[in-house]
Amino acid sequence: MNTPQIFVILSGIVLTILIAWYFWFAPKAQTRVAMSASGAQEVAITVKGGYTPDVIVVQKGRPVRLTFTRQESSACSETVLFPDFNQSAKLPEGEQVNVEFTPDKPGEYGFQCQMGMLRGKLIVE
Amino acid sequence: MTQRDPVCGMEIDLQSALAKREHMGQTFYFCSQSCVDQFDKDPHRYVMTSATTGFNPEQTLSRIELPVADLPMVRPATKLEAGLLSLNGVDRVTVNAGAGLVQLDYDPQKINLVGLAGAIRSAGYTVDGAQTRIGIENLRCASCVNFIEDELKSTPGVLNATVNIATQEASVDYLPQNTTLADLNKAIETWGYKPRPALSDAPIDKQEEAHAREYSRLMKMFWFAAIISVPVLLFAYPQYVPLIRDLSMETIRWSWVLSAIVTLPVLFYSGYDFFTGAWAAFKHRSANMNTLIALGTGAAWLYSTFAVAFPAVFPEGTSEPFYDVVAVVIALVVLGQALELRAKGQSSSAIKKLLGLQAKTARVIRDSKEMDIPVEEVLVGDVIQVRPGEKIPVDGIIVEGSSAVDESMLTGESLPASKKMGDEVIGATINKTGAFKFRTTKVGKDTALAQIVKMVQDAQNSKAPIARLADTVSGYFVPIVMILAVWTFVIWFVIGPQPQLVYALVTSVTVLIIACPCALGLATPMSLMVGIGKGAENGILIRSGEALQTARAIQTVVLDKTGTITKGKPELTDVLISDQPIVKDDELLRLASSVEKVSEHPLAQAIVEGAQARKLELAEVQDFDAIPGHGVSAKVEGRSILIGNLKLMNRENIALGSLEEKSKSLADDGKTPMFIALDGKAAGIIAVADTVKEDSAEAIKALQSMGIEVVMITGDNRRTAEAIARRVGVTRVLAEVLPEDKANNIQLLQAEGKKVAMVGDGINDAPALAQADVGLAIGTGTDVAIEASDITLIKGSLKGVVTAIEVSRATMTNIYQNLVGAFFYNVLGVPVAMGLLFPFFGLLLSPLIAGAAMAFSSVTVVGNANRLRGFKPKFSVK
Repeated sequence: MNTPQIFVILSGIVLTILIAWYFWFAPKAQTRVAMSASGAQEVAITVKGGYTPDVIVVQKGRPVRLTFTRQESSACSETVLFPDFNQSAKLPEGEQVNVEFTPDKPGEYGFQCQMGMLRGKLIVE
Repeated sequence: MTQRDPVCGMEIDLQSALAKREHMGQTFYFCSQSCVDQFDKDPHRYVMTSATTGFNPEQTLSRIELPVADLPMVRPATKLEAGLLSLNGVDRVTVNAGAGLVQLDYDPQKINLVGLAGAIRSAGYTVDGAQTRIGIENLRCASCVNFIEDELKSTPGVLNATVNIATQEASVDYLPQNTTLADLNKAIETWGYKPRPALSDAPIDKQEEAHAREYSRLMKMFWFAAIISVPVLLFAYPQYVPLIRDLSMETIRWSWVLSAIVTLPVLFYSGYDFFTGAWAAFKHRSANMNTLIALGTGAAWLYSTFAVAFPAVFPEGTSEPFYDVVAVVIALVVLGQALELRAKGQSSSAIKKLLGLQAKTARVIRDSKEMDIPVEEVLVGDVIQVRPGEKIPVDGIIVEGSSAVDESMLTGESLPASKKMGDEVIGATINKTGAFKFRTTKVGKDTALAQIVKMVQDAQNSKAPIARLADTVSGYFVPIVMILAVWTFVIWFVIGPQPQLVYALVTSVTVLIIACPCALGLATPMSLMVGIGKGAENGILIRSGEALQTARAIQTVVLDKTGTITKGKPELTDVLISDQPIVKDDELLRLASSVEKVSEHPLAQAIVEGAQARKLELAEVQDFDAIPGHGVSAKVEGRSILIGNLKLMNRENIALGSLEEKSKSLADDGKTPMFIALDGKAAGIIAVADTVKEDSAEAIKALQSMGIEVVMITGDNRRTAEAIARRVGVTRVLAEVLPEDKANNIQLLQAEGKKVAMVGDGINDAPALAQADVGLAIGTGTDVAIEASDITLIKGSLKGVVTAIEVSRATMTNIYQNLVGAFFYNVLGVPVAMGLLFPFFGLLLSPLIAGAAMAFSSVTVVGNANRLRGFKPKFSVK
């Protein structure tokens, strides 16, 4: 085994660890939602290649209003789904679309585009 | 002392005034009742125009009622009231949560509707106005935007207005009670602009436009990449192409430099989405298809460029570039996305069909004038005129006239339903024969059609439990593929044949490109969308993907008897006369129904209707007497008549002869017999029964032939229940079940290890519907029925149960095909791309083939889902 081979093997191991760490094990940034004056928890989400922010922490029992703005034309992200709340919304490009519901039970609820390529998470506390 | 009547303006003496009213600190006197009535309707109007002398501090106040959504019923809306009262110019606020109204007295000099609506919004509520978009022609100057906005905002009834110069459209929130589209257009015209209809208001059209735009964008990107691919491809394999083969190595090297330059715009124009998408995902610590494509093509380009720029660094034979991979893969994947988009448009056709049913205009009668207005402006309480052949615009109740209405588009019922005064009509159905007027009860998003559309859309976007597996898999999929690609490279580099670097790179790029999770992700949603749409076309509303998936595996169907198998309404079934006939059977029925016409007994109605069906003229009745627990007695045309049960006949000592036997056999058939005696002699029997729907037996047979056990459940006595069961071919009967025990009985069936569906006709069956694995409500598409069940059969027929199960089976089969296909594609494609077959067969995938395969895998899935559109139910409705 020559030096380049050893180098490639070692790089392979390092890359594997990096990929696993970056996509699975590193903690994700969470966005805590502030309460508006009316008691609703409002957050604006930009849709462009992903949801920004994508991990959202809300309180249970209070209405949540997520305002999506899709800033791309790729048809992939045109629908956002909340399968656990039986909610979905079409997101026309450039328009603000509200999704409103009141989570009753604490837990983690995913939201995603129709194909599941873009994903976000709603953490209810 | 005299004063003016505020309504008609007549001078009247206060002593002789007909009535007086106190309002806002003033006293009014009236000359006549009609003036009082008119005043009471809107007392506020007269405060301002009042001719009373003296200072009136509230003189300038206006009053308005604003419909506000989601007012709290229990807690007082203090925040809302306080917020409004704190505004300068607001005098009084009354919140009526029950009616969803906020009544305001305000000074229009100090604050306008826009300010009020703003205050309500900032308190967390929304004013329930209509929204419209109006196009403005040739809107160029930015400053005019403000002028038009202000003009619109100062139009009475406007809650908010914004003008967008980019789209050349005004978007206006307004109260349709206080303003019309024409007023809004006028406001725009005052600034010298010409209003035109907005491009499109229908969300589905908007989506279609967006899809069309996106399609042409993708196709442009595809053609760009495709055209560049051709020369790049030719120069990538110089040894195989005549003419190029003969060029010197020097020339070919220069062509590669050119290839490097021309593929750059392919990467950054045609592949723009992949790179931005990959970067966005990367920032979110996630990876998706874009990541794989971007990595694959990016790596290929970088390697190639490096190899062309510094050929000396690379071992012999590895310095050849593969720019072809970059261009061709991007071209193919973009083409795949374009084709997928086109196919997707077809799958949503069910919703388009439903929305297309909506009428565009309505002929409203306001102030006893008929006018055609856009259907969006119709208000609850409006009276609408409908002529034969016209579409009924919204939901309502007939107040004048009658007709036959074709409801097939919503219910699938092919026979027109006859409608008379007091009957409900549903928007989007077609009036056939007569003209009528109806009062609207539901408009806009509350109409049955709008609810159905909303529900179908939600269901189409819901998830079948089976999709969760695919989801979980695809969540881990991409990083795993990236790791696999890394190790493919390592292994080929370490133990692969020469040239190792090229093999290692080509195989790992192929792995990245072939492993697209798209097909997996698309497998369920596409089929669900088509399947649920197909259900809707057949009058079956499936609430969720979960219901659709469960319905497929149903082993037992429990049918409620009354209203589900039967019509739920007694009908006259038999008229028998005694062995020594006193009268003919028509005569017997005529006399009996004359008596029953006076009775209030529910069965009496059935007898009267039976007589009317035979076109019998009913007679006058005297001395009518109801004998509780026995029957009735009366005199008709001089003859004394008794109608009742055996007890009544025994009490009156009437010999029944063979009639008693006949009555028993009628009762055995589940009918309710009534004896009739004329002048003290037994004359015959009239029987009524809740009759079976015409197609129940056929539907039950179809269910049984599908291998499903059919069970009947009822609160009725066993004899009646079994009689009905025999007629429709049901062998297992759960009779004498109390309503609250229905759910328990379902549970018992489930305890036998069966997947149970319950079919009931609405609210009283709700617990059982909820307990069952799948609850099917027979309803008319009204809110309650939709809410209570997993599946709603809009048409009353049991055939809908058969169709629902058929749709479910067809859709789930389609989903399995898709999943298996997508799974196999990835499970087989990835190892082959890694070169697993190379040691045995020398087989290796080229990245080009991988690109084509990945592009067409998702197209295949969408195409297979579209096959479902050809689904035909056994009982075709049209």
